[in-house]
Amino acid sequence: MRRVVSLVIGAALLAGTATYAHHSYAATYDVSTEVKLDGKLMAFSYRNPHSFVTVQAPDENGVQQRWSVEWAGSGQLAQAGVQHDTLKVGDQIVVVGRPSRVRGEYRALMVRLTRPSDGFNWGGRAGQVVD
Amino acid sequence: MFNGDQTRMAMRPLLLLACAALASVPVFSQGGPARAGNPPDISGEWRLENSEDDTTAQPPLGDYTGIPFNDAGRLRSDTTPESIWGTPEYQCRPHSAPHQWRGLGGARILKEQDPLTRDIRAYHVQFMRSLDRPIFMDGRPHPPAWAPHSWTGFSTGEWVGNTLKVTTTHLKDGYLKRGGPQTSDMYAMTEFITRHGDILSIVTVIDDPIYMDEPYIHSTTYAYDPTASVAHEVCNASAFAENGGTDRHWVPHFLPGENNARSEWLKDENWFPPEAALGGVRTLYPEYRTTLNGTVRLDTLKVPTSRSALTIDKRIAEQGPRDGQVHVLPVQGNIYMLVSDGTNVTVSVGPEGVMVVNTGSLQMSDKLLTAINQLANATVTPPTTNTCVGVSCPGAWGWSSPYMNAVISSPAPPKPVRYIVNTSVAPDNVGGNLKIATSGFFPRVQGFGAAVESVGRGASIVAHENVLNRMTAAPAGKQPAVPAAAQPTDTYFDEFFKLPAYFNGEGVIVYHAPAANTDGDSFVFFRHSEVIAAGDLYSTVSYPVIDVEKGGTIQGVIDGLNKIIDLAVPEYRAQGGTWIVPGRGRLSDTADVASYRNMVTMMRDRIRELKAKGMTLPQVKAARPTLDFDGRYGSTTGPWTTDMFVEAVYRTLQEKK
Repeated sequence: MRRVVSLVIGAALLAGTATYAHHSYAATYDVSTEVKLDGKLMAFSYRNPHSFVTVQAPDENGVQQRWSVEWAGSGQLAQAGVQHDTLKVGDQIVVVGRPSRVRGEYRALMVRLTRPSDGFNWGGRAGQVVD
Repeated sequence: MFNGDQTRMAMRPLLLLACAALASVPVFSQGGPARAGNPPDISGEWRLENSEDDTTAQPPLGDYTGIPFNDAGRLRSDTTPESIWGTPEYQCRPHSAPHQWRGLGGARILKEQDPLTRDIRAYHVQFMRSLDRPIFMDGRPHPPAWAPHSWTGFSTGEWVGNTLKVTTTHLKDGYLKRGGPQTSDMYAMTEFITRHGDILSIVTVIDDPIYMDEPYIHSTTYAYDPTASVAHEVCNASAFAENGGTDRHWVPHFLPGENNARSEWLKDENWFPPEAALGGVRTLYPEYRTTLNGTVRLDTLKVPTSRSALTIDKRIAEQGPRDGQVHVLPVQGNIYMLVSDGTNVTVSVGPEGVMVVNTGSLQMSDKLLTAINQLANATVTPPTTNTCVGVSCPGAWGWSSPYMNAVISSPAPPKPVRYIVNTSVAPDNVGGNLKIATSGFFPRVQGFGAAVESVGRGASIVAHENVLNRMTAAPAGKQPAVPAAAQPTDTYFDEFFKLPAYFNGEGVIVYHAPAANTDGDSFVFFRHSEVIAAGDLYSTVSYPVIDVEKGGTIQGVIDGLNKIIDLAVPEYRAQGGTWIVPGRGRLSDTADVASYRNMVTMMRDRIRELKAKGMTLPQVKAARPTLDFDGRYGSTTGPWTTDMFVEAVYRTLQEKK
């Protein structure tokens, strides 16, 4: 299994996508499951080593929470055409992400982001995976 | 740091690597072995090649294979989630020192030379995700135990044959490798760096007896690559917690037994013995194989372990030595930390006089006052040579330069102690009040400027009013134990006490920490020097002392620590910046206080969980909820034991919000 992981990482490096995560995604998030957040964008922090979007969306009990969704670093996002002003505070967005492994945390790892108002979406295409 | 047996043990893989290099890397013969006194040049750009582990990818969560963990190390790692990186204090921390050589991006080694002799004074090692790491070669000693710890630590090097042996101390707590295995902040690291032609091998020995039964050793290989250039990772940390929610003081952690992810990887690797995945010294040696067929039980297996070279209790105690001496550590700006027989006294020294935060014990008051006066003399009126002659010199009055007077006469004495702040009523914080206050002077005027003899003499003593209330409390008909001249003269009762004007060029604010160690705790913020005197809220040598009878609570301690963290700002990459002087122990920064806050929060949550299950206090104590931090902060003897801490937490827990 480890060899396979190494090969995948190696291929990613060859493709020019730097795996600069300072922490481990697999250790931080439960990559075996997903959470869907349908809500309002409260903040977009476009930065390194990871960008974050803050989404006001309900938890599993219907209580509104501020969710912190970890996205790619600004370098990787820029390559995919996402700029600091691509998302606007107040945008209604739908995020699909991997939830935190820690009980009580409102954080997720970005898998897909959709803005229904104009069809903008990120995720699932080549280069659109958070490294 | 490292005894002879361990050196030989660590050199063994080195020799193997050297043999391998000789067999396969012909360029080794080009330069030949370096002579003694002419060590090989290790400077340049180096590309990460490999190690015995999978370094670039994520090791499986919960894989402790090969790590000689004890129960405390395993528990600490199981309960510390990767999400801890999301807290504002850790977002930009560099890789932990044991992992740094294995992080992405290569390494750059620079030489710092003496300009006259061209001797190498230091090597500087840089990584993509690091601070500059000097390795001093000039023979300087390691700092005292009360000096701060950093992410890279303090390193000195010496050549042993063709191998550079690097000894590193003063490291912050971190991780052995990504994704889980944790270290304490008391480990020492020894590296053996050897160049074989264009190959650089680094054998790293991590000695952390709090969490491991013997040193952990790993090796990493680099290749010389003049075309490489170490990238610099920009880190834009935010004040917001990446962990979501609205609690900026959120501390992510697993309760004991809650982390069910640590064995996930074994589902795909079901051939792997689960007990070996937990690490432990018995699983590291060939003798372990005898347990696999069930003939020998793991817990009875004898293996030839190598002991730690560190006496850890002694090393922790040295951070606040009870040696009857006063040790002076310059901090920043106007501020000095004086370690007075193990109790820290924070001193502001400047042109307007001296401010002393806490006065140590009664027994130390003479020595402390002597040290303060010496410091004031040396700082405010240092002996200097004349740098300007003539009537145009700055500060000249009349016909002659004042510097003439500086040459022919002694300078004016420094101003005396103006302020004392007592952060609590604890004897070690107020014991020297009488001696030091009566040596000082605080100008209180009456009428038209005449100082009142009975009031004007003696420094102002500032404290929360509950400190004064406790000092003046006495049984009916009896005098208080503390004389009037040692009692606070200026008290406050609400959130903070702000000095009405600058002192020594800066604003000073005394903050109240309600219901923390007691009901009268304060900490002091020197706004320009960027130093916080934390009082008893923070210690690097013990669990927080919570005096329940005097109104102390666990939640008050946590709130006080969080308030300190809110005020403090790191200089760069999660270290330095605002310095925090603990009540006892080594000088610290924001990340250190955050680490302590994390520990205290985890202890609160664990004990609360056990209490919520209906467990009695003896049952909670027997469950050992503090196991993973007892080796670091706990004690079975003395004035503040682990049992007393657990009891204080248990008794003062609030219902979960």
